[in-house]
Amino acid sequence: MSGPNEDNNTQLSSHIFGDLLDSIIVDVASECHRIAKLGLDRNLEEEEEEMRLSAQARARVADPSNSSETNTKYVVDIFGQTHPSVATEIFECMNCGRSIAAGRFAPHLEKCMGKGRKARLKVTRSSTAAQNRYSRGSPVSTYSPYSNSTSTNRLSNGTPSVAGEEYSNGTYEEPWNKT
Amino acid sequence: MSSKISGRVSPQPCPHLLDFCYRNGSEPFRALQDCIRVKPPGGRAAIRREPFEVPRCGTCDESSRPRLYACVACAAVFCHAPPLHSHASAHALSVPGHEIAVDVDRAELFCCACRDQVYDRDFDAAVVHAQTITSTTSTSGSTVTQCKATGSQPDNLRKRRRVDYSLWAPNSRENAIIENHSIPLHDATNGSLISSTELPWGLRGLNNLGNTCFMNSVLQALLHTPPLRNYFLSDRHNRYYCQQKNGATLNGSKNSRFCLACDMDAMFSAVFSGDRTPYSPAKFLHSWWQHAANLASYEQQDAHEFFISMLDGIHEKVAKEKRKTHSPGTGDCCIAHRVFSGILRSDVMCMACGFTSTTYDPCLDISLDLEPNQGVSGKSSLAKSNNSCNVEADCMGSSQNCGISTLKGCLERFTRAEKLGSDQKFFCQKCQVRQESLKQMSIRKLPLVSCFHIKRFEHSSIRRMSRKVDRYLQFPFSLDMAPYLSSSILRSRFGNRIFPFDGDEQDACNEVSSEFELFAVVTHTGKLDAGHYVTYLRLSNHWYKCDDAWITRVNESIVLAAQGYMMFYVQKMLYYKASEKQAASWCDVRK
Repeated sequence: MSGPNEDNNTQLSSHIFGDLLDSIIVDVASECHRIAKLGLDRNLEEEEEEMRLSAQARARVADPSNSSETNTKYVVDIFGQTHPSVATEIFECMNCGRSIAAGRFAPHLEKCMGKGRKARLKVTRSSTAAQNRYSRGSPVSTYSPYSNSTSTNRLSNGTPSVAGEEYSNGTYEEPWNKT
Repeated sequence: MSSKISGRVSPQPCPHLLDFCYRNGSEPFRALQDCIRVKPPGGRAAIRREPFEVPRCGTCDESSRPRLYACVACAAVFCHAPPLHSHASAHALSVPGHEIAVDVDRAELFCCACRDQVYDRDFDAAVVHAQTITSTTSTSGSTVTQCKATGSQPDNLRKRRRVDYSLWAPNSRENAIIENHSIPLHDATNGSLISSTELPWGLRGLNNLGNTCFMNSVLQALLHTPPLRNYFLSDRHNRYYCQQKNGATLNGSKNSRFCLACDMDAMFSAVFSGDRTPYSPAKFLHSWWQHAANLASYEQQDAHEFFISMLDGIHEKVAKEKRKTHSPGTGDCCIAHRVFSGILRSDVMCMACGFTSTTYDPCLDISLDLEPNQGVSGKSSLAKSNNSCNVEADCMGSSQNCGISTLKGCLERFTRAEKLGSDQKFFCQKCQVRQESLKQMSIRKLPLVSCFHIKRFEHSSIRRMSRKVDRYLQFPFSLDMAPYLSSSILRSRFGNRIFPFDGDEQDACNEVSSEFELFAVVTHTGKLDAGHYVTYLRLSNHWYKCDDAWITRVNESIVLAAQGYMMFYVQKMLYYKASEKQAASWCDVRK
């Protein structure tokens, strides 16, 4: 039931609320006024323009009718050159002196320096076995896994390691077992 | 637009304020200082003669108006309630010289004649001083410019003597010396799609040595980092001399066997030689593995981690040679730090008493969190990219952000005041007890080159797995870092008062610009542990895609739409804009 007291209280409380609200509005106005006068405000037009350009760019890129620039491998580069998917430049390993193809230098170096887990296990391997390992076979895919990434916070550039997955080209004598 | 390094932009005072200051000086404002009451912590300043005074309008006796002004000249309080009435203006009209008043609840000056808020440096200084007293130790009355508590002002930010930039070209005698003692470089481009005069020097593919695109992408960015490129091309680290020196002191220790700086020197020479066949950074990989052997496993093929690791490698060698102790922030120790090292400031404010504790830490880059999902599905894949574009199209009309993450947005979040959880209570020196606190980061000193690393991984503790966040991040080609500087952040914390804050004097003296230009973007496509890195380089205002051995020119739309993982910005004054004569000038030197 609303009696005269109730009405008074409702009126009073809405009056107080109104005062508080007005005060807060003036707070914000005063702050914005100062920011504007002191030249500290953001350049909203510039930012809007940037967003518009980026939206335009994304639309253009997503449009399948535009020539796809996403795959630039196997094309002619700006110097007029083409390159094989696996780099074939040959140079000497600075650790062991063997001639290695560039595209397979990292996996070689890993074992050569005794870094990989497999390499450490294979300390007693004979040199002939090692020779076979480095023989040329089908090109190694650039993304084949040669180590597993256990990190959870990093973006690696190898393909995901599935337990027991082998080196894709099978040149190596044994598969990379996960221990 | 002029650089807004400090709040030195002082608006022109109105004639009444000008007149008031001329006649009375700054005495009245300083006198007001005693009446400034600040509710801790870090609260709004108010004007009260007595601590619990309730100001009332002298004319209508109202106290509940949203705007009450106290005349600075006679301290009489009046209300200002347009459009109904303004007793404050009435007072100003009736008594000449009493036009200037102060908002009793907000400590803002007001000209009752102009009916507008006005600003004065001396008054703002008084307010800041009053606000500072509440947030420093009870023992020392240190001001905001020192903000000392647990951290100390970095004393290695001494002023650098500035040398004016002047264009230099060798004279005929110098030309002769160059000719006689050097081998001319030839651009070995054959049948290129772009005329050779347009091709920038130093553009050369890098062979993938087996999952090394993480390394190639970062190397490409570094090969075109202006101060780094200049350092190595100016022969500041001569690999022959370095090897000779180390060979002489060879004592079998591992350190003398490799030097990442030497390998970088060799790489710069090779990449800028004019030879355009892809270069194999094999020696560099070998050296890096020797350096990183004891660090986090090399199996982690993350570009950012490689970046930090190799900078550390360069530092170790070069700083050791120069016998410089690690001097964070100045970069006196080595070129890696000289280029990339900045200083971050961290403030922790007690929410009970306002006491602020400040620490400074050097940083080589800034790692930013992507904003949490803002409505647009976070699981965007290639299939959905079209949909997200449509969403944008719809939103464009209302010119809203639409939940698209931006680099500026990430920086804003990075410098936002964050309430530490109740489980992370900080020990307040003033209260002598653990209190809930507010933490805020800001940039005390900008590096020459800013590298932003976007944390594109999400770890779900529920499913105990991580996944990559492919969400698009908008990034600008030009970036003004002013709003994220310590001076700006502090200023806004104190109500944007006109006052030199931490870093203002430093920046003012050095005239260091806060404007940066983008020159390299490292992108990652694919999944968390299966993907590919590519770098986009901006040279002579053209964009080039560096995909291991393949260098192609791309339209800037490709870059704008790319998924940035690391973005490299260089201070604008070091950024060499497009110069049509770039190639020609090299030819002149050779002749």
